[in-house]
Amino acid sequence: MNAVNFLRAAFTGRKLATVGFIWLCLIALAAIAAPLIAPFDPLEIDPVGRLAKPGWPNLFGTDHFGRDTFSRAIYGARMTVIIGVGSVIVALVAGGAIGMLSAYFTRLGHFLMRGVDVLMAFPALLMALVLITLLERSVYNTILVIGIVYATTTARILYGMTLKLKGEVFVDAAICSGAGHNSILFRHILPNLVSPLLVQASFIFAFAQLQAAALDFLGLGLPPEVPSWGNMLSEERIYITRAPWLLIYPGMLIVLSVFSMNLVGDALRDSIDPRFKDDIAGV
Amino acid sequence: MLCGGGPIHHFTPIEVGMLAYTIKRLLTLIPTLLAASILVFLFVHLIPGNPAAILLGDTATPEEVAQLSAEMGFDRPLWVQYMLWLGNVLQGDLGTSIFFREPVLSVIGSGAETSILLATMTMVWIIIIGLPIGILSATKHGTWIDQITSSGAMLAASIPTFWLGLYLIMIFSVYLGWFPSSGFPSLSDEGGLSNLRYLLLPSLTLAAPNAALIVRLVRASMLDVAREDHVRTARAKGLHPSRVAIKHIFRNALISVAAAFGFTFAALISEAVVTETVFSLPGIGRLVVQSILRRDYPVIQGVILVIVVLYMVINLLVDLAYARLDPRVSLK
Amino acid sequence: MALLEVENLEIAVSSRGKLLPVVQGVSFDVDDNETLGIVGESGCGKSLTSLAIMGLLGGTTVRITGGNIRFDGMDLLTLPEKDRRAIMGNRMAMIFQEPMTSLNPVYRIGDQIIENLRRHKNLSYATARDRAVELLTLVRIPNPGERVDSFPHQVSGGQRQRVMIAMALSCDPKLLIADEPTTALDVTVQKEVLDLMADLQKRMGTAIVLISHDLGVIAETCDKVAVMYRGRVAEAASTADLFAELAHPYTRGLLNSIPFVDRDVEWLEAIPGRVPTLEEDLTGCAFHPRCALATDLCSLTVPDTSQFKPGHAVQCHFPGKVTS
Repeated sequence: MNAVNFLRAAFTGRKLATVGFIWLCLIALAAIAAPLIAPFDPLEIDPVGRLAKPGWPNLFGTDHFGRDTFSRAIYGARMTVIIGVGSVIVALVAGGAIGMLSAYFTRLGHFLMRGVDVLMAFPALLMALVLITLLERSVYNTILVIGIVYATTTARILYGMTLKLKGEVFVDAAICSGAGHNSILFRHILPNLVSPLLVQASFIFAFAQLQAAALDFLGLGLPPEVPSWGNMLSEERIYITRAPWLLIYPGMLIVLSVFSMNLVGDALRDSIDPRFKDDIAGV
Repeated sequence: MLCGGGPIHHFTPIEVGMLAYTIKRLLTLIPTLLAASILVFLFVHLIPGNPAAILLGDTATPEEVAQLSAEMGFDRPLWVQYMLWLGNVLQGDLGTSIFFREPVLSVIGSGAETSILLATMTMVWIIIIGLPIGILSATKHGTWIDQITSSGAMLAASIPTFWLGLYLIMIFSVYLGWFPSSGFPSLSDEGGLSNLRYLLLPSLTLAAPNAALIVRLVRASMLDVAREDHVRTARAKGLHPSRVAIKHIFRNALISVAAAFGFTFAALISEAVVTETVFSLPGIGRLVVQSILRRDYPVIQGVILVIVVLYMVINLLVDLAYARLDPRVSLK
Repeated sequence: MALLEVENLEIAVSSRGKLLPVVQGVSFDVDDNETLGIVGESGCGKSLTSLAIMGLLGGTTVRITGGNIRFDGMDLLTLPEKDRRAIMGNRMAMIFQEPMTSLNPVYRIGDQIIENLRRHKNLSYATARDRAVELLTLVRIPNPGERVDSFPHQVSGGQRQRVMIAMALSCDPKLLIADEPTTALDVTVQKEVLDLMADLQKRMGTAIVLISHDLGVIAETCDKVAVMYRGRVAEAASTADLFAELAHPYTRGLLNSIPFVDRDVEWLEAIPGRVPTLEEDLTGCAFHPRCALATDLCSLTVPDTSQFKPGHAVQCHFPGKVTS
């Protein structure tokens, strides 16, 4: 199914999902154009103007260091996009490769999927925490850790899907016409997996945000100098009674972005090939 | 039973089938457990540095390090060490906590009470809130009720638990003063069962996103089942729509939903970390985080092992539930 | 007055905001102890008609938009929901095409029959269970005493269909609607099931509406036939009359495409063209694009239903021309 048609079919008639998609585009825009849009330097401290209420010139007020919350929120969008996209890439590439290859080469596959089963016995957050213990706090490591966590479910899902596809007639036809493994995998199986992969990507993106925010909140995620919505919540937590707005904005941003991603994922999932509907995670 | 008043109970084929299935599953559990235990064991050895020094912490003297090395057999080949470790584990000795200077098992034990109670309370909320709304959403499919519950559920699933927790504290503890905002004295301390009120806000916080997921799962499963032929047959019998919805649609959908319940419970125990942190509850999750920050590796290792075992047990229970709910599984 | 009277039934499907008629002007009668066969290709509306009679057209996409259905003197379309449900499974019952999936896999066979019994008759569980075993014996299930406790996946397809029949007949209905009951079964099992149905009819006096795309099955088992094409009844008559002298070109086409054992034919004639989709608008007779006898009149006006002979209705501008 052609990508453009697929997207168009997913969004017609679904107002909420379209709104969500627009919101995400806004976030992406903010992420890319951050230096141009942000009125202040997100790291600039102003001890005098700390904990100011939202208004002008600080649209979202200032935090306990006097930094402009609005600018930090915009730069936080960067992190949202980076972590989201990064985790998705790690999860899809690693998990997808393992899943696809396991289904295709069945002997190797049994062994690999057993390994995945064992890994899946470790709960996501715990796995993330454990991996963090071994590594230090950084943007790359956070992406890596979250990506690995979701690589396991992705592997499972891709395994199931590839198995289904392998049993289809067109694969037999390709083999009969002398196609080699590479050709079958890349020219026949993979294109069919693009839409379900897209759906899976959207759900991973959504969950990754929540995981990253949780890690940040616990002080185990991104380094504190990096402005991210999760970090903002973590740092300003004690000021909840004195300056409740400091927590509302980053919190709402997270909720809206995750919600939008879920809506988009749902809309996409409703329009993909019914074969795969049941396989996809992210209810 | 579909109707009340069943036949006299003999040792039915379905029970024999269940027993055989249970044994089969238990047997497949063991290799996976072993594999996981190997991974857990290797964990300590992946950390750079002398394992004995790591286990004893920074304050250990070189003699103590050497002694522990010999005791634990760190100079022996890796697989021997594994066997020694496994032997200890099977006897209940998970090592000693660096921070608490107590056996890891007892440290975990004291956190377990909180975590299990919290998880149970949360499950109660999830079932009370999630199931009815999910069923309602499915039966009113296509109407505005369905739209609102579905979107609402998705929204609830998008809320970070710690954020929700913070605001619940602000509203209900600080402004209204109805519920305590932190800590949890044991049920065996004074206050007894009324101490459960400490868990009220945390369990609601945890319940929100999970109940939302259950709502969506119940709705999706029920809608799938409703399309099946046997539902049409049930309607052709002139049964009341609510009977069709519960006994024929929900009952069949329960097969998929049951698995989710099991995994949700398991997840609640291990991933309540954030909520425990926000509400300062002395649970396992918080124990893990603090141990990570304190570099208390024996505890980290012990908790991971316990949780992995827990997950596998729950996995097994879920499979058994499948067999109980779906006769096609255990009877051939 | 017949047991079942369907008069000018109209059913429509809403698709992308538009209401498309899928069944139009369908009329037929069924009396006690009679078997009516409804035959036609896939998509001609025969299943929808049967679901409409039974009251199973749920949902917002398919709706009855006109006509009357009278059963045992009652007007089904104006009957309140509660009363309609009291009839279903009780005075009127239905069996479906796919026995493999028509029974709930999670409950025992006996319990599913008992559910129907206890819904409509005030029986204790024990009495109902005995009755269930009786019914299983009636439909010739071996070992009924044990089978009553089996689960659907433990018995074969043919046996499941018999269970469905047992369940349908459990409350002694006056009308049984069978929607392609044997299509999914082996030929030998087909015959057994049809024989069983005929036998039960003799015993219980039930009227049967049998839906099939197989003219052979219809010819063997039915007293009357209605041939449907694209939502309309092309021709309706007693089986004897229909096969003796058919009046509609479509019926002729159907007959021609069946291999008869006692005839020597060079090849089977398929009806040229294909059934038009729902969305394709047609003026005039629905069959005219594929009819060898079509004239300009046929492409402009929908033919009226006329009595070709007493008791033999046809919807064609040139009834009977096809045999002459």
